[in-house]
Amino acid sequence: MRSARLSAALAIWAFAAAAQQRSPVPTRTELRKAVDEFLAQTRAMGLRADSPAAEAKTRQTRGAWHGRLFHNVRNNFLDAVPHEIVQRGGTKGLLRRNQFGVNLTGPVIVPKLYDGGKNTYFSVTFEGMREKVARTNLRTIPTMGERTGDWAHVVDAAGQQLPIYDPASTAPNPAFREGQPVNAANLKFGRSPFPGNRIPAARLDRTAQETLTLYPAPNANAGPFFRNNFFILAPEINRADGIVARVDHTASDRHRFGVGLNYSNGSDGQAPWFPSIANPGSVPRDRRGRRLTLEHVLTYSSRNINTLTADLATDQSENKPLLDSGGQPFPYYRFNSTYLGMGQSYPVSRNARNTFTITDGFTTRWKEHRPRAVIQMTREQVNSFWPQYPTGSFRFGAPYTSLPGIVNTGHPFASFLLGGVEVAERSVVASPSYFRRSRFLFGLRDQWDLRKGLTLSLAVNFDGATPRVEKYDRQSTVAFNRINPLNGRPGALAAAGLDGFGRAFQPYQFKAEPSASLAWNILGKTQSVLRAGYSRSYTPTPVYLGQWGTQAFNGSPTWVSLNPQLQPAFTLANGFPPLTRPFPDVRPDSANFTVADLIEPTGRQPTYQSMSLSVEHEAGFATVVTAGFGHSEGRNMFLSNSGSNPNAIHLDSLAFRDRLNDENFNRSLRPFPQYQKFDVYSSWPEGRYQRDAGYVRVEKRTSGGLSLSAYYEFSKQMDNYSGPGGVQDYFNRRNEWALTASNTPHRLSLSYMYELPIGGSKTFFPVSDWRRFVVDGWSLSGQTTVTSGEPVALRPQFNNTGGVVEALTVNVVPGVDPHVANPSPDQWFNPAAFAHPADFSIGNASRTHPTLRMPVNQNHDLSVNKRIPLSPERSVELSAVGLNFVHHADWTEPDAVIGTAAAPNVNAGRIVGSRGGRVIQVGLRFNF
Amino acid sequence: MRAATLFALFAAAAPAANPPVKIGPRTAIRVPYWSDGSPAGPVSAKVNGQPAKVTRTLSPDDDLMMLLVLDLAGDLAQADPAREAVIAAAGKLPPNAYVGLLRAQDGLRVLSDPSPDRGPLAETIRALNIGGRAGLLDTVETAAQLGDAVLAKSAVRVAILYITDSSIGNYREDFTNPVVNSGDSRDMSRRFPEGLVKEKISRLSASLGSAETPLFIVHLNYQSDRISEAYQTGLLEIATASAGTAVFCRSVAEIPSAIDQAFASIGSHRSLEIQLPPGKARQWDVELAGEGGALRYRQRISGRK
Repeated sequence: MRSARLSAALAIWAFAAAAQQRSPVPTRTELRKAVDEFLAQTRAMGLRADSPAAEAKTRQTRGAWHGRLFHNVRNNFLDAVPHEIVQRGGTKGLLRRNQFGVNLTGPVIVPKLYDGGKNTYFSVTFEGMREKVARTNLRTIPTMGERTGDWAHVVDAAGQQLPIYDPASTAPNPAFREGQPVNAANLKFGRSPFPGNRIPAARLDRTAQETLTLYPAPNANAGPFFRNNFFILAPEINRADGIVARVDHTASDRHRFGVGLNYSNGSDGQAPWFPSIANPGSVPRDRRGRRLTLEHVLTYSSRNINTLTADLATDQSENKPLLDSGGQPFPYYRFNSTYLGMGQSYPVSRNARNTFTITDGFTTRWKEHRPRAVIQMTREQVNSFWPQYPTGSFRFGAPYTSLPGIVNTGHPFASFLLGGVEVAERSVVASPSYFRRSRFLFGLRDQWDLRKGLTLSLAVNFDGATPRVEKYDRQSTVAFNRINPLNGRPGALAAAGLDGFGRAFQPYQFKAEPSASLAWNILGKTQSVLRAGYSRSYTPTPVYLGQWGTQAFNGSPTWVSLNPQLQPAFTLANGFPPLTRPFPDVRPDSANFTVADLIEPTGRQPTYQSMSLSVEHEAGFATVVTAGFGHSEGRNMFLSNSGSNPNAIHLDSLAFRDRLNDENFNRSLRPFPQYQKFDVYSSWPEGRYQRDAGYVRVEKRTSGGLSLSAYYEFSKQMDNYSGPGGVQDYFNRRNEWALTASNTPHRLSLSYMYELPIGGSKTFFPVSDWRRFVVDGWSLSGQTTVTSGEPVALRPQFNNTGGVVEALTVNVVPGVDPHVANPSPDQWFNPAAFAHPADFSIGNASRTHPTLRMPVNQNHDLSVNKRIPLSPERSVELSAVGLNFVHHADWTEPDAVIGTAAAPNVNAGRIVGSRGGRVIQVGLRFNF
Repeated sequence: MRAATLFALFAAAAPAANPPVKIGPRTAIRVPYWSDGSPAGPVSAKVNGQPAKVTRTLSPDDDLMMLLVLDLAGDLAQADPAREAVIAAAGKLPPNAYVGLLRAQDGLRVLSDPSPDRGPLAETIRALNIGGRAGLLDTVETAAQLGDAVLAKSAVRVAILYITDSSIGNYREDFTNPVVNSGDSRDMSRRFPEGLVKEKISRLSASLGSAETPLFIVHLNYQSDRISEAYQTGLLEIATASAGTAVFCRSVAEIPSAIDQAFASIGSHRSLEIQLPPGKARQWDVELAGEGGALRYRQRISGRK
């Protein structure tokens, strides 16, 4: 070792002597010495082109590997009991979570074959996760009495007995006054309640009784009125393993290459809510992700750079349900009430999304312009096997056991006990779907220095997308320009590639997306920057996972009660009626009487526009203050089935009142009577929103390792679609214009990072003996957010509109203030300010209330780190991350359901709980 | 798990990075300082509370060697104005200011040796290809060692200036702690993603705490996301620890003035050589006093590890 140092010193001396003769001779002695030393040291360090190769390579590769080992632990011992669990009388659930991994970074060296030196560099990270966690949930299931037909004790939301009527006793009321509204005094059909409100055992449906053997018994009594009687505490096991790797290679100053690889496997255990095949919780799922990225950077010259990137990615998932002895999943039962259902949707499914992208970007400089051109081509593939209800879906409603036309009578579970199915559906998936779509983008951008202190950026992207096609043309929709043979009206099924239809059902989408921005140093002073920006963009129709739009090939036959108050679609004991047509069925009437998949035919794209203006000012003391304003809006936003219904019945039809319960009459009012409804699958472009926001940000950064950022925003966002239930009036979107359900007008956040000024070379306790191991190396990171509540979305308890309106709002009571002086959980708002709309009428309140807000939310997260250096290159770091570390409880939303005068919701306007709890993770990292 | 254990053993056995270039035992330290006005008289010094002998004083009129390190790997929109501003600022330096040019991509590399000639320097800067991975964090220790070696052997002022557009996501080593298992929805380890950056900065701060060459950084591309905040605060921390400073440009228009400001600070710095008391010390607390203007200087220098 000593001889090596000696020879290195001799080499430095010899080179210095030679360099002294070669280098330009400085006029001053000290500068000459300095240059000589620079030459000698840079040569010895291998920093020069004329450094001896061996020296340079050894210097660069020896010991240049860095990395880390890490292990993070979560355990229920560390966490607080969440407030919502405490309120249910529960205790901590099991939690064991281990996240571990390793990272290594450095030059690529293959002994005796390749020494990457400076030129070839790799980074690889492995991370694994093992987790066992108990999930808790409090839900309502039928009491044991209800299961045997004993409804004597069952009460409504007001605590009064809920009468169950015998559908077998239904008879027309001879005293019914035609033309007068149906009400308790003017019944169209008479029906007798079950004696003692008990359904005789002999009337109970056999299949329903067999099904109930898989329904667990109540195990809690949280109430009120026998509700919240099933406490779920179930463990789930999750695991994940993944690798992220990257290799960079510099072939020359002009050519650089990069390869990246991501690999991840995992499984989501999903805690079962029932310990049986009838589990209604989420389906366990396996996941796989792979990604390969290739990059080549070609630097033509100091002002011309070309970057070529290829990206291949695939994400796959597969559901893994419990199956019966015949290999079938349990059917899907849902009771249109608060009762927990049985079975799962999409129990057996597989999805894969593959994306291939090639991007080439060229940047250059011309005078005061810095133009950039980008061209990108993307090929998307979605392969899906996605049967929603392979063994059937059965939905039960209250009308079958109600007094026809009278709300707050009957119960969906009672209808289930009698086997009276209101709506049933079955998914018949003969083959997977292989969707394909290509995208093309050409972008131009120029950054132009107009004059000193003023920079203008202009850009335009030309974005094109082909419509979705299916590899084997197994795709279908409802074509509005095709006549349905059933009734001679427009709207019939069309299959891709048949009967004159093309492979796709939408046109090629092509849009130009302009944007402009400027940065101006106000009055030439660098302390202040004014920024302004404008952009307009579009979103092409996404290719969703699933098999939507393949109904001719993968059918979903549907059975609907012709009058839910009077008769079921069929009874459980009788089972599904036989299928009359095999699949594929590409005939025009194939999808009749179903919820038909409808692909929007015009290809209208969501359009976004945004404008922003801000001023940044360096206010001294390393503080930067920014104030700004932003406006954004969107049109043609894609809406889901709750926001769009092209087959909706006009609200004027509510005048038909009880006749609407007659399915045949109801159908006759629809624009497309041959269809139950349309499934537009989050792709119907008729939403609109507008957001305006002003904000102030203060940032401070100090050399002592403190970084502080405080941000306050006031915003208002309106739209015509959001909310818990959907849209009341599809025909007049202006009536739906209301505050966005997620709008929080005030938002304050504080973000900080601080190296504590203690120990070592810091201000306080600058100890340098053993105590430095304790005092030195502490740092904090934190984030605190406080947001005002979202708008309250009031809704009525009952919906007696004959299926015409899906999302009713309430009525406003004139002259009654909805606000209370001191909002508290006992009374957050005044429910007397709202009233339940009458039967067959809509509410006049807005979808979300303009002034009533849910409680304020706040969250405080903190990370404490302690670094212990072991050597200049090695250290150990201990960390503790606390989410909601102050164990703050946020109140839950107030009960926003307004009952009728006869059956008021006694909890309306009240808050019945809080949520939140401290979660802690501790970690250990060894850096080398 | 077995593989991880083997990997851990291997990692623990991995050799440390390059040892610093040996420049002999430390008997004196060089302390850069600035005077808000012209000091009327000599500057006196104390080390660890004891008066210390000042063996050399260098003023802004004395010789200067600037090690200019370009770390330009991003957008030409920032790199081009920076190049022009550097060329203009270098042109204003006096003849006894030598500028050596290095670049930080793929390790530190000399592009041109220190020289008073600005013409070749400008040509080299203009011809420099922009691209590759960010290099500041990987090269700053080597640059400081180089500066210290020159300081130790000559009575000139030496300073390092980094012109960088580095993004923390563009390093060869991954400091961003990217998501490995995207399906792991309960991952808390990335709630505060700045941990790896802060660790690297702490390591560099400790290492540069013993360096005597002031480090200046002009960052061309300010970013306000959390991990970039940590990175840029860290750059400020390590620059300030060496008596230099870091400036962050929020717009292209700020680049020329930020570079001018850095050149001016470097050109106006003074340097004291102070004799150290005998014996070993982990760190030296320095106090300077002089008549006239207030003195700004680095108050603590660590001993070499």
